[in-house]
Amino acid sequence: MSGDVKTRIEDIVPAEALDDTGGRGPLAAAAEAVVLPGSVEQVVEVVRWAGASGRRIVPIGTGQRVCGEHAAGPYVLLSTHRLSSIDIYEPADLTITLGAGLTISGLHEATRPNQQWLPFDPPTFSSRTVGGLVAAGLTGPLWAGYGDIKNHVLGATVVCGDGRCLRLGGRVVKNVAGFDLLRPVVGSRGSLAVITSVTLRLFPVPAVDRVLVLEGERLEDLVPAARRVATATVLPVSIVITNHNGAPKLLVRLHGASPTVDADQKTFEAAVGSQFRSLEGEKALEIARAARDAGVGLPHTVTMFGKGTELAELIRQAQEIPDATISADAYRCSVTVGTTAPIDECLNTGRPLDPEIVVLNAGTRGVFDPGGVMWSPQP
Amino acid sequence: MSTPLPSAIVNKLGHTVGSENVITDPDRLVVYESDGLSAYRVPPRAVVLPKTTREVAEVVAVLHGEGIDVIPRGSGTGLSGGALATPDGVVLGTARMNTILNIDSENRLARVQPGVINARLTEATKPHGLYYAPDPSSQSTCTLGGNVAENSGGPHCLKYGVTARYVTGLTVVLAGGKVVELGGAGYDPYGSLDLVGLFVGSEGCFGIATEIEVRLLPIAEGVRTLLGIFDTMEDAGRAVTSIMGSGLLPAAVEIVDSETIKAVEASVFAAGYPVDAGAALVIEFDGTEAGLDADADRAEACCLAEGAREVQRATDEEHRMALWKGRKKAFGAMGRIAPDLLVQDATVPRTKLPEVLSRIADIGTRYELNIANVFHAGDGNLHPNILFDRHDADELERVERASKEIMVLCVEVGGTITGEHGVGVDKREYMPLVHEPIELAAMAAAKAVFDPDSLFNPGKVLPDVEETS
Repeated sequence: MSGDVKTRIEDIVPAEALDDTGGRGPLAAAAEAVVLPGSVEQVVEVVRWAGASGRRIVPIGTGQRVCGEHAAGPYVLLSTHRLSSIDIYEPADLTITLGAGLTISGLHEATRPNQQWLPFDPPTFSSRTVGGLVAAGLTGPLWAGYGDIKNHVLGATVVCGDGRCLRLGGRVVKNVAGFDLLRPVVGSRGSLAVITSVTLRLFPVPAVDRVLVLEGERLEDLVPAARRVATATVLPVSIVITNHNGAPKLLVRLHGASPTVDADQKTFEAAVGSQFRSLEGEKALEIARAARDAGVGLPHTVTMFGKGTELAELIRQAQEIPDATISADAYRCSVTVGTTAPIDECLNTGRPLDPEIVVLNAGTRGVFDPGGVMWSPQP
Repeated sequence: MSTPLPSAIVNKLGHTVGSENVITDPDRLVVYESDGLSAYRVPPRAVVLPKTTREVAEVVAVLHGEGIDVIPRGSGTGLSGGALATPDGVVLGTARMNTILNIDSENRLARVQPGVINARLTEATKPHGLYYAPDPSSQSTCTLGGNVAENSGGPHCLKYGVTARYVTGLTVVLAGGKVVELGGAGYDPYGSLDLVGLFVGSEGCFGIATEIEVRLLPIAEGVRTLLGIFDTMEDAGRAVTSIMGSGLLPAAVEIVDSETIKAVEASVFAAGYPVDAGAALVIEFDGTEAGLDADADRAEACCLAEGAREVQRATDEEHRMALWKGRKKAFGAMGRIAPDLLVQDATVPRTKLPEVLSRIADIGTRYELNIANVFHAGDGNLHPNILFDRHDADELERVERASKEIMVLCVEVGGTITGEHGVGVDKREYMPLVHEPIELAAMAAAKAVFDPDSLFNPGKVLPDVEETS
């Protein structure tokens, strides 16, 4: 870090709020500094200083999962990790307002005594910050049971690229007071604003958390069973197929009271025409986590999306990748592939963006960040 | 009074949609002068009823080309004046756009035109074992296009969530008649900002959704419905907190207060609720048949522990409908008591319900107004209904002042000014209670991204600039 940058940043935040850039991947290594503001006011000042000095801001959480290779021009990483207070938690409301830098495990420490949790499980869930989770808009395989995280973010405080601090949404579960500027922020990967606090809806921890396992010779053989579960008369909370550790499996996860889960298991066994191995407790969580995270740590990963009826085709494409470790959410129909070999880019099934969408995205970004201070990994 | 539309424009519109689908006769325009909030009335210059996306695009191109406001309208059941015309505006009605375009049961998706009635979609998907979850109280008349515009809720969104959760893609007609596809199931959700989420709930101010793709759910195997009768509203409120805090996830938890019970029981909709009760609580569970009795037992125990006088449980579908009747017919029943009814809408944190209800009662007493409460208790969404006669100028003024106090109160305890009815024209003045001028300016900037000349539904949602400063 140059002495100049250090001096200026130290005018805004104390010296201990500056971190070195090591150990966070190539994007961090090329950053001028990692700044960890301790208040929203400090975030505003850092963002304003960056804008005024021609720098860009890359918002991060703990920095464990800083994606991307480089950002153009000089930039600093702004970590929200010190903004980790729990501001309002009224268990009977099943909502919580907290600093964006708190990790999910920190959140769950606070909510567990009340048998409440945040039912999203993207890879490496627990060590992520709440702000990172919301910025990434990641949901994980529990999407079938609980929907998208964007439907459960009730409000957020954000600092825009020009230093404006906006309170979006609110603290209540139903709120239609004005245009919903919160929605484009969720999943924007830090490209619109720094998220400094969020209000989330919580859920009761289920009485029973059961994972049903069906093993198969080949991954593709499990696709019909996964589809029969996905179109059965009751809905599980997740349906995953994976070839993790070279042992293809279908995992069906059920949440609820014991009689409900028992009955649902019978429904799925009838739909599939065979018996599942049934796991609960730590063993169930372990196998669900392993399936969820399969392939994620590998050097090259890609996620493909489709409709449920396209699952077999996506699995076929995924299997064409050499040494592919595959984890597929069979309800949402998203297939994540990790491999050691570079992945042919044509596999990405994302359609090219309509030019009109590019214009609307740019316009929406301009609402939050007219000067283009926030770094965006998006097209 | 609106200025008639020049005949050259009427002809152009008629050429696109058929002259029988362009209404300019003042007698017929009266129907379109207000929506479900009849306190505001402005007849439009004309009403155009297109049938397809292409026709909508052409109509918008013609009108915007002349600098004429376009006001989208579904069935006109909205309760915030969101479909109110401007004196210079033309209403674009979706009544003829009522085709269910596709039901993809394998992928649990449906694609519909915006004029399809909410309940009709559920009827059409029933043979596939599927249904459309959001169920606004007006579901037998309201349109899905209107639901998208308002981000509508309903009693069962406690468990299932509101409209935004179910809309996966939209075809929209934007300013000048530009047609754009937003989102779509099966596409990379991270390839773009969530423009679908931004558009849903934009109250017709960003453009018109001409095709709507929604996610469907499997019909629940079973349902259990309970009716708890309480001596006081406080007891009922505590029962709600107890049920929601016990780890149960009911599909719906609804309360009607003593004023409402009296109104319902004195009307043709009498549901058999005891008229001396302080409150009635309707609780519903749905899902796998095997677990429902246990859930219902636990909820019943919560009610009894909080002092419920009695708890009834529906024995069949007819009985279930009877238990719901007092809740569902509440608004109709109030018509008997007073000529006018203001259906208010606000959300507060659930734990604040007892305090808020008691303070709303004080407001009613202070302004000498009769306020009856019917609400989605499970998610803290209140509907204080103020009964009045709009021909009584003094009473009307008291209604307005009481309304504002209720809004201020709800915001003060951490709530918001509307949970599901939208801002429309009615609540624009309350927007500064929940949003700073800087946030309102950002909302105005977002509208300008979609509608730079502000020709879609102007004068809605955002207060005039001087009101915010």
